[in-house]
Amino acid sequence: MSFASPYLLRETGGNLVRNIVMTVAAVVTMAVSLTALGGVLIMRQAINQATVQYQGGVELVVFINAGASAQEITGLRQQLAGMVPEEIRSCHFVDQAAAYAEFKSMFSGQPDMLKVMTVQKMPPSFRCVPAKAQNVAQLASQLNKQPGVLNVGYPGQAIKEELARFATLRNVALVVAGGVMLGAIALVVNTIQLAIFARRREVAVMKLVGATNWFIRVPFMLEGLVEGLVGALIAFFITYLARDTLASFTGSNPLVPDQPLYVSSHEALLTGIFVVALGTLVGAGGSGFAVRRFLSV
Amino acid sequence: MIRFNHVTKTYKGPIAALRDVTVDIPRGEFVFIVGPSGSGKTTFLRLVTKEERTDEGEIWVAGKEVGTLAPWKVPYLRRNIGCIFQDYRLLPERTVYENVAFALEVIGRSRHFVRSQVPQILELVGLGEKMDRRPNELSGGEQQRVAVARAFVNRPLILLADEPTGNLDPGTTAGIMRLLERINQYGTTVVMATHQQDVVDAMRKRVIELDQGQVVRDQARGVYGMVDA
Repeated sequence: MSFASPYLLRETGGNLVRNIVMTVAAVVTMAVSLTALGGVLIMRQAINQATVQYQGGVELVVFINAGASAQEITGLRQQLAGMVPEEIRSCHFVDQAAAYAEFKSMFSGQPDMLKVMTVQKMPPSFRCVPAKAQNVAQLASQLNKQPGVLNVGYPGQAIKEELARFATLRNVALVVAGGVMLGAIALVVNTIQLAIFARRREVAVMKLVGATNWFIRVPFMLEGLVEGLVGALIAFFITYLARDTLASFTGSNPLVPDQPLYVSSHEALLTGIFVVALGTLVGAGGSGFAVRRFLSV
Repeated sequence: MIRFNHVTKTYKGPIAALRDVTVDIPRGEFVFIVGPSGSGKTTFLRLVTKEERTDEGEIWVAGKEVGTLAPWKVPYLRRNIGCIFQDYRLLPERTVYENVAFALEVIGRSRHFVRSQVPQILELVGLGEKMDRRPNELSGGEQQRVAVARAFVNRPLILLADEPTGNLDPGTTAGIMRLLERINQYGTTVVMATHQQDVVDAMRKRVIELDQGQVVRDQARGVYGMVDA
């Protein structure tokens, strides 16, 4: 049996059209659910991208002059090592190449900034996790005076607030997405159940003349898969095209005031692909459940 | 072709639909299963297609023991068996051609094969001119001919007919019986459940009589209601 046989495609198409109202309801619900999920993922990417320097507990970034000598960097490294563990829990060094890669990721939506920056101009840095958060300002002031240091960034509180706000938004959106997704699955199952009922005579004849179980089941399973896929494609286009709007729901960049959050088209595309795969899987899973539950072969 | 070996089948309740039935139907035979309503005729046919399971005993169909057949093999068994019913079971929204073609399409036959076989079989049953009609545009006899065409289009080894002439007038019944006889002459084993005495008496084929699930008579060239002396 060919799964692309004209018979299977015709029957699947027929099922979709026969139950058009239920089909549309299932597709729209799936699209709403996956758009909510895709939106959360886009927002998370925007936050991650903006705060990439401050992940893993880093609250203090010691930026070093691009032209600092090796001795100055070594001296600073030794000094930071001497502050472990009383004042600083851990530190790691980010060289110019790594800093440039990070910069490109952070400002991928702003080609003008990318044009003027080069690897040589990027300041290397030490990323440090303080032993006690309340001592960050004092540590920053102390390190700022060291030779070779450009400046010390410690916008920890702003990032914490931003992440907390995002966490609330994310949780609400995930609950909405989960609830609507359950509704979408129920609608897919119901649509398939109706299709099985509408075609009960044909199914009886198919069994009688020796159609295999898979041949009987596949059009119904394809129906659910198509519903999931179409809903997911709608969600994909919405999340992809509205990615900047979705990213802005999380507020402005906590590190660079007045600069909006954004995600690159590449990352939005990856999110979209994930959403499409998930929608297709959910559609196929829902119809698979319905077929097992309601179609005895 | 079909062998029942001490077969017992019980539905819910104490009464057995079939009790210790042992029957052997060789290839190419035409057999009537007769008996009153509830005697087990339909159960007999449904056991052959494995729509029902036996409680005891063995059933062999086309060289395969049906009871031990894996579920995924059942469709392949059914491709050797054509079925017709009193209520025709045609698909009302499909044409005559589509109803017959459906039986081939759903077992994965090529479009070329379908196009070559369906008109041929519709000519055989005398409906070559009515391929584009829908079932509701046909008489009862014509609808049953479509059902026969659908059952026979895959050239099955066995044709099971459950009261196929129950809804038809005597003239139309005679036409359907001639058709079944012709199919039997092609080598297909025909097993027909009926309680129409005139049909059985006219054909003088083997008769297996069931009563309360038991074989009470198995007679070559028999008649409906009594042992032919």
